[in-house]
Amino acid sequence: MLKNIYTNTLLIISAFLLVISCDKGEPVVVHEHEVFTRVVLEVKKDGETNFKKYTFEVEGHDDHGDDDHGDDDHGDEHTEVELDTNSTYHVGIFFYNDSDPDNIEDVTLEVIEEADAHQVFYEMTEIPGFSIAAASDDTKDSNGNPLFLKTSWTTASETSGDVMAYLIHEPTSKTGSTRADFGGATDLQIEFEVHIE
Amino acid sequence: MLHFIGKIIGNFFYRPKKCNCPSCSKLTKSVAGISLLATGLLFSQDCNLTLKGKVVDLHDNTPLAGALINIIGSNENFISNESGYFLIENQCNGIINLKISHLSCEDLLTEFDLNKSSSKTFFMEHHIESLKEIIVSENKLKNLSSTANSYSLSQLEKHRYSSGNLANALGSISGVSNLSSGNSVAKPVIHGMFGSRVGIIYDGVVLEDQQWGKDHAPNLDLNSFDNIRLIKGAGLLKYTGDTPGGVIVLESSTPKISDSLYGKTILNGMSNGRGLNIITSWIRSFQSGMYFKAQGTMKKNGDYNTPNYILSNTGNNEENFSVTIGRNKILKKLRFNFSYFSQEIGILRSSHIGNVGDLLRAIQSNEPFVINPFSYEVNFPKQFNKHYTTSIEYSIRNNSNGKWTAKYNWQKNNRKEYDIRIGSNKYNPAINLTLNTHNLVSNYEWTKSNFSYDLGLFSQFQDNFSNPDTGIKRLIPDYVKVRLGSFFTISYSVFKNLAFNFGFRYEHINNLVQKYYRNSRWNDENYEKDLGPYVIKEILSQKLIKRRIIFNNPSFNFGIKSKIIPSHEISFNFFYTQRAPDIAEMFSDGLHHAVASIEYGDPFLKSETTQKVLVNFEKKEGDFQYNFNPYLTNGKNYIIIEPTGVEKSIRGAFPVWEFRSISSLFKGLDVDLSYRLNKNITYKNNTSWIEGVDKNTKTPIINIPPLTTNNQIQFSLSKWKSFFGSIISKYVFNQNQFPDNNFYTTIIENGTKVEKLVDISTPPDGYHDLGIDLNWGPYKLFSNKVSFSLTFDNILNANYRNYLNRMRFYNDELGRNVMVQIKINH
Repeated sequence: MLKNIYTNTLLIISAFLLVISCDKGEPVVVHEHEVFTRVVLEVKKDGETNFKKYTFEVEGHDDHGDDDHGDDDHGDEHTEVELDTNSTYHVGIFFYNDSDPDNIEDVTLEVIEEADAHQVFYEMTEIPGFSIAAASDDTKDSNGNPLFLKTSWTTASETSGDVMAYLIHEPTSKTGSTRADFGGATDLQIEFEVHIE
Repeated sequence: MLHFIGKIIGNFFYRPKKCNCPSCSKLTKSVAGISLLATGLLFSQDCNLTLKGKVVDLHDNTPLAGALINIIGSNENFISNESGYFLIENQCNGIINLKISHLSCEDLLTEFDLNKSSSKTFFMEHHIESLKEIIVSENKLKNLSSTANSYSLSQLEKHRYSSGNLANALGSISGVSNLSSGNSVAKPVIHGMFGSRVGIIYDGVVLEDQQWGKDHAPNLDLNSFDNIRLIKGAGLLKYTGDTPGGVIVLESSTPKISDSLYGKTILNGMSNGRGLNIITSWIRSFQSGMYFKAQGTMKKNGDYNTPNYILSNTGNNEENFSVTIGRNKILKKLRFNFSYFSQEIGILRSSHIGNVGDLLRAIQSNEPFVINPFSYEVNFPKQFNKHYTTSIEYSIRNNSNGKWTAKYNWQKNNRKEYDIRIGSNKYNPAINLTLNTHNLVSNYEWTKSNFSYDLGLFSQFQDNFSNPDTGIKRLIPDYVKVRLGSFFTISYSVFKNLAFNFGFRYEHINNLVQKYYRNSRWNDENYEKDLGPYVIKEILSQKLIKRRIIFNNPSFNFGIKSKIIPSHEISFNFFYTQRAPDIAEMFSDGLHHAVASIEYGDPFLKSETTQKVLVNFEKKEGDFQYNFNPYLTNGKNYIIIEPTGVEKSIRGAFPVWEFRSISSLFKGLDVDLSYRLNKNITYKNNTSWIEGVDKNTKTPIINIPPLTTNNQIQFSLSKWKSFFGSIISKYVFNQNQFPDNNFYTTIIENGTKVEKLVDISTPPDGYHDLGIDLNWGPYKLFSNKVSFSLTFDNILNANYRNYLNRMRFYNDELGRNVMVQIKINH
């Protein structure tokens, strides 16, 4: 009896293992479509036709040669935006996903499409005479609130300071003077210095 | 109809051991007389018919010789021959009523509509008594272990928590708490351990439902089981050898052997969350040992609330059912079961945050950012989990009292976690894992004099599929796991007062993992040297590795239990366990939104080894009873996760948490006291204290439950017999042993850039939670029995936060809840 039980059990288990021990197929690579990998600021002085481009890239982003080392460096790297005194600038902020170099996606279009669920906010340290307002060609949501995708920057005297720009997803308020006023989740947060000379 | 009545009467007057009691035969005679009268009046006579009958044993189909067959109302008697056959000749057409009697069995009363000569087989419950005894003994809650204490939930406690989850229900046991992520997601914590370190055994098999996740609640319905018990420590090597925390055992009892239909229905209505539950189970059992059981649960809850605000998007829905068909015979038992569990859980809307800046703002704010009006709707973020179980169990006994059991169990678990996303992925889950687990277990139990043995073999095949359609890199990789092994346990009772227990288990675990590493991570961690040979593909700046990881893990335990003085019991148990690291601990790779952290696994982790010593000193009799339960757990390669830095990117800053192994030490004490003041009032207390440290750095381990004491007064009234109530006071102290995982982040405040401390470590203050339970019943209502209860949780509507709730950064715990429960026993 006992002997039978063991031989039976062993037989069943080995048959079971034989059936299931087939190899598993190779997993498909995941291409993260909706991530933002690059933020671009296009800064154009009023009256001029050329604009300056400032690019911010995600850490751990591997599509740019051997620039892989030191992920943390990107965050600490200072981008300096040079501006003239007593001028106005037209600035556009653009979001891209370039995780597939052959198919760079402009995510700004999705932000515009879901205008009610997004808001860009520029928060700055004390920079005398410097202000950021919505530009006349800015996208507006269904309540007429400008998204701050296109902004108009005004400078006065020589100074400098820090700016943090946020792309906020599903903000609880579309207006405010501090980041906390907007609530929501921060999809993007870039930091740069403005030098007004 | 008459047959049915006859059977009921027969059952009613049934006397064990004696088949032919006089009162019984008198009654049946008169019943039969009426029926004969009826036949005589209604049918024309054709009196040349024969009935060829065969009497067999229902359980093993052996013919029964010497059965006495009596045509009720006549003096005609027949006796079955060696092959069980008998022949009744010269019968008139119409209904004849037979009474078949046989030694050591229940009389069979049956009617037969004879309109032409026919033959029929009659099944008799030959060993009905011994079968009933077997069922009774199997349903008796045998100790899970002969030396380690097991704790069980009473039916009342089980019903009280029928609206909640397993972790809540077990939380009333000393040494057990729960780690939660909001109100509906809770994992049981035993002696400071949770997840893969706590085994959940349902109907004899380990639940495989991605149990490694801190925000993954057990995917099972506690209402579909009859008994819920637990052992603190790895006391059950029959089921697991890698759960140093403890084992939770959920079992269904075997239905009774009789022709009956019975069941139970529970209706719950809750004020907090405006929830409604209906839980029902029905059993149809037959004299033949066959039974059919069906159980179903439906739960609907809307947004819960704290004393001051609504927790938006915390509603949940649950739909579960299970069906079981089985047959119990004396020597054989067969059981087939299918169960389905599905749960949709809303996650607090405000807890979906983007980065550390958002986390800081959430911690600084007293209330969640999003508070909407009450709703039953479950929106994103949410979890949607399903668990299917199919199992077949067969057991056979032999004459020397050995029992062989074979069990096959297939579990399919699907977990979908939805985040708040944009664009075309808006309705696409961020995590979609399908885990298929096949278990084949076989064991042989036998006893010889004072020894009882259990020897078994087991095999498991597991396949995890992380669906790439999520469009988000896999949190855990695809893998195939094969687990093979064997266990052997012996218990020996010298006298009634001394018992020994020894168990050994060996597991071979073979993981085949296929994982994509991003080149950046690969280079940062210098994986090329160790993992380079496993790379099989490079694509989109990622490397695919295919790697086989093998673990061979022995575990064992031994215990001794003795009655030193009458009514006092002391036991000592030692558990040695080896746990292979989870796939998640080795390969986690992803962002956790609610805590704004990035988690990475360590692919080189070794098996975790723990030694646990547990002493129990118990007095079980008299008005004053107690149980002191100190324990010590020493861990080597004990796997924890801790912060290692901050990753900054254009999405902002995120703390990085990485798995690593340490040498750990846990010490704790559980105390249970009970004092019966008089026949109406009993006072109970249970207190749990535990401390866990990293032995090298001397820093406390994270998420250790703080000192907790529960005081309970149970009372009843002499005048009002059907009433029973209790007042429950739970005091949870402030946890002052915690690791400092705080970090700084830069924000702009009042026009200047400042560094702000993000305090994710400091536990919240202690709290007091008062509850009242009032129970009435059972009352008779037609053929049912009805009971009522009224339960108040947090009756003082106290405001507090809980260290073991991962949502403590966002919201207070729930405010007052009133639950009305109606229980109907059919």
